[in-house]
Amino acid sequence: MLKYIIKRIAISVVILLGVSIIIYTMVRLMPNDYVDNKYASQLQSGAINQEDIDRFKALYGIGDNSFEGIVGGYLKWIGNLAKGDLGTSFKYEKPVEQVISENMWISFAIAIVATILQFVIAIPLGIGSATHQYSIRDYVVTVFTMIGISLPTYFFAAIVIKVLSVDLGLFPPNGLLSATANYEDSFAGSLEKFIDIVHHLFLPILVSVFLSIGGLMRYTRTNMLEVLNADYIRTARAKGLSEKTVIYKHAFRNTMIPLVTMLAGILPSLFGGMMITEQVFGIDGIGRLAYQALREGDIPFVMGYNMFLAILTVIGTLLSDIMYSVVDPRVKLGK
Amino acid sequence: MASKNKHYISIKESREIIKYNIKQMKYYESLKKRKANQDEYIVPMKDSNNLIEIDNLKTVFFTDNGTVMSVNGVSFEIPKNKIVGVVGESGCGKSVTSLSIMQLVQAPQGQIIEGEIRFNSDSLQTNNVNQKLGYNIAKMPTQEMYNIRGKDITMIFQEPMTSLNPVFTIGYQLDEVSFVHKPGVTKEEAKAHSIEMLNKVGISMPEHVYKSYPHELSGGMRQRVMIAMALAGNPKLIIADEPTTALDVTIQAQILELLKDIQKKEQCSIMLITHDLGVIAEMADYVVVMYAGKVIEKGTAQEIFHNPLHPYTIGLQKSKPLITSSSQKPLYSIPGQVPNPINLPDNCYFKGRCNKCCEKCNGKYPKEIKVSDTHYVSCYLYEGSEE
Repeated sequence: MLKYIIKRIAISVVILLGVSIIIYTMVRLMPNDYVDNKYASQLQSGAINQEDIDRFKALYGIGDNSFEGIVGGYLKWIGNLAKGDLGTSFKYEKPVEQVISENMWISFAIAIVATILQFVIAIPLGIGSATHQYSIRDYVVTVFTMIGISLPTYFFAAIVIKVLSVDLGLFPPNGLLSATANYEDSFAGSLEKFIDIVHHLFLPILVSVFLSIGGLMRYTRTNMLEVLNADYIRTARAKGLSEKTVIYKHAFRNTMIPLVTMLAGILPSLFGGMMITEQVFGIDGIGRLAYQALREGDIPFVMGYNMFLAILTVIGTLLSDIMYSVVDPRVKLGK
Repeated sequence: MASKNKHYISIKESREIIKYNIKQMKYYESLKKRKANQDEYIVPMKDSNNLIEIDNLKTVFFTDNGTVMSVNGVSFEIPKNKIVGVVGESGCGKSVTSLSIMQLVQAPQGQIIEGEIRFNSDSLQTNNVNQKLGYNIAKMPTQEMYNIRGKDITMIFQEPMTSLNPVFTIGYQLDEVSFVHKPGVTKEEAKAHSIEMLNKVGISMPEHVYKSYPHELSGGMRQRVMIAMALAGNPKLIIADEPTTALDVTIQAQILELLKDIQKKEQCSIMLITHDLGVIAEMADYVVVMYAGKVIEKGTAQEIFHNPLHPYTIGLQKSKPLITSSSQKPLYSIPGQVPNPINLPDNCYFKGRCNKCCEKCNGKYPKEIKVSDTHYVSCYLYEGSEE
C-alpha cells in the first residue's frame, strides 16, 4: 500500500511537470499581456512611448515571445519553484502563495457547505427516485434536477438576484459584508459579523447547490437502479430482510462504489473556488481573483493557481483510488 | 384490447394498455402494503400432509405490450419431506411460480392476481372443524412475508456468481439470516451457527470461508454457500431454481448429491426447478410438467418417466440425449416455439406443435384428467380414460 502511494506520487511529479509546461506555454501565447493591458491608455495619450513599454516587458520577463524566450521564461519559473518561490503576482503585487492562501478560505467555506448540502440532498433524492422508478415523485425530481443541469450559472444567478434580492429584498445581491456595517470588537460583534456573512453567502450557495445537484442525483439514481436489479438484492430479499435493510445496507454499499470516484473531482472544486459564481456575486474568493488575473495576463498568479489546481486534482485521484480499495473488497492496491 | 392485427399496437391501444397497467399495478401494490387482519390470509389446508398447496395460481406481468400471463392457473402440491421437480422449456413459468411462493416476483410489473398458495406453517393450529390451517401467501402483506422468507421457505438461485453481495463477507451474509430470524441472538451464536451450516454443506475450511469475500470463492463453493444460507433458517421448503445450470458437470453432480442428502437429514421438502430431465429422474419424488404457464401433466416420477401421457412430455423425453442410442440419427426436437404469452386463445397451447393433434383440440383448453390417484394430464387424447 505504502509502496503504491509512493509510486503514484512519483508519477504525479512527472504529470505535474507536463501540466506546467502546457499551462505556461498557453499563458505566454495569449494575445494580450499584462504590460499592454496596463499601459494601453498611457500609450494612447502619449505619456509613455513604445520603448518604455518594451523595457517594462523585459522587466516582467515577458518581452521575448519567441520559442527561446518562452523556454527561458519557463526554466526561470521552474527554477524559482524548485527554490520554493512561486513568484510575485503582477496584479496583486504580493507573493503568489500569499494571495492564494489569503483568499482560498472564503471559497473553501462556500464550497464545503455547498458540497455537503449537495451530497445530503442529491443522494437521498437519487435513492428515492430509483426505488420509486416512474412514479410522479421520480418524474418531478428528474425534471427539476434536469433544469438545474441545463441552466448556465450566470443566467440562474441573475434570476435569483433579480427575484430574491432586488424584487423581494430578502438577501443582499453581492459582497461579503454589508457596506454600512461597523462591527464591534467583541463576541457579540463578531457573531453579528458572522451572521452577516452567512446572510451574504446564502444566494451563492443556493445557486451552486441547485446547479450541481442534478448530476449527482442522476448518477445515484442510475447506479441504484442497476444495483436494485442485481441478483444479490433478490438473495437479500429472499433471506427475509426488510426492504429498508435491503436498500440502505445491501444496495447502498454497492451504489457507493462508483460515487467514490466523484471524490476525485470534489477536491479541486473545494479549494479552487467557483469562477463564475464568485464573479457574479462579487465575492473576493480565489476563483474571482483567478478570473481577473487571467483577463489581465498575470502570469505568475495564473501559473500558481493552475498548478495548485493540478496538485489538488492529482491528490484527489489518488485519494479516490485509495477510497476505492476501502469500499470495494474486490479492488486491491499495490503491484 | 384485442386488435385485429396481432403484431402491431396502435398508439391509442398502447396508451390504453399503459393506463390500465398503472391502475392495476397500483391496486395490487396497495394490497401488499395494507395492514391485513390475520383471518384474511389464514385458510384451511386441503391435506395436512402437504407443505404447499398451489391452487389456480395466476401471476401476470403488466407490460407495455399487454398483460403477460406468465403463470396461468397452476395447481399442484408439495408434500412434506418430498422432492418435487418442475420441468419445462424456458419461459414456461417455472421460475415465476417459485418466485410467487416467495412473493419475490419483480414488482410492480409482476403481480399475483388470482389463486391461493397455501403454506402449512407449524405456527398455526387446526380450526374448529379439525382442518389444519395455513397461510395464503398470495394474499399475505409483504410485512408478514418477512417472517416466512429465509426461515420457513428459502431459495437457491441459478447464478451463484452474482447471487452473493460482493461487498460483504460470506460470514456477514450468513449471520444476517440468524440476526433476522432469531431475535436476541448474540454475535458469537450467529457465527457458530453459520460455521455449522458451512460445515453441513461440505466446505472444508469453514473458518476461512467465513472471512472470505464472494469473489475469492469458486462457483461451486459459492453455490454451497448459497445452500448454507438457505439452510441457516431451518427451512421447511427449499426452492432450488436451476441450482446447477451455471456450474460445470462434475460440480453439478456434487451439488445435487448434497441437496438430496440435506433433504433427507433436515426433513424438509425441495422444489427443484430444472429443464434437465436426467436431474429430475434422479432426484424427484413427484414431477410437474409445465408448458406456457400451465401444468400439463403431473404425477410421481415413476408415472412420468414410465408412462408419459401428454404429447409434450413424450416429446421432452424423446429430445433427451441418451448415451446408449446410436448417434447416427439427429436428436429429436419438438418443432415450433412456445406461443407468445399475450392474449393466448382459449384452446390447447400445445396444439400447433403437437403431432397427435385431433379435431377436438380446436375446442376449449382441455380439463385436467385424473388418470390415477397421483397422475393428472391436460389433454383431449385421454378424455375417456378417467378413473
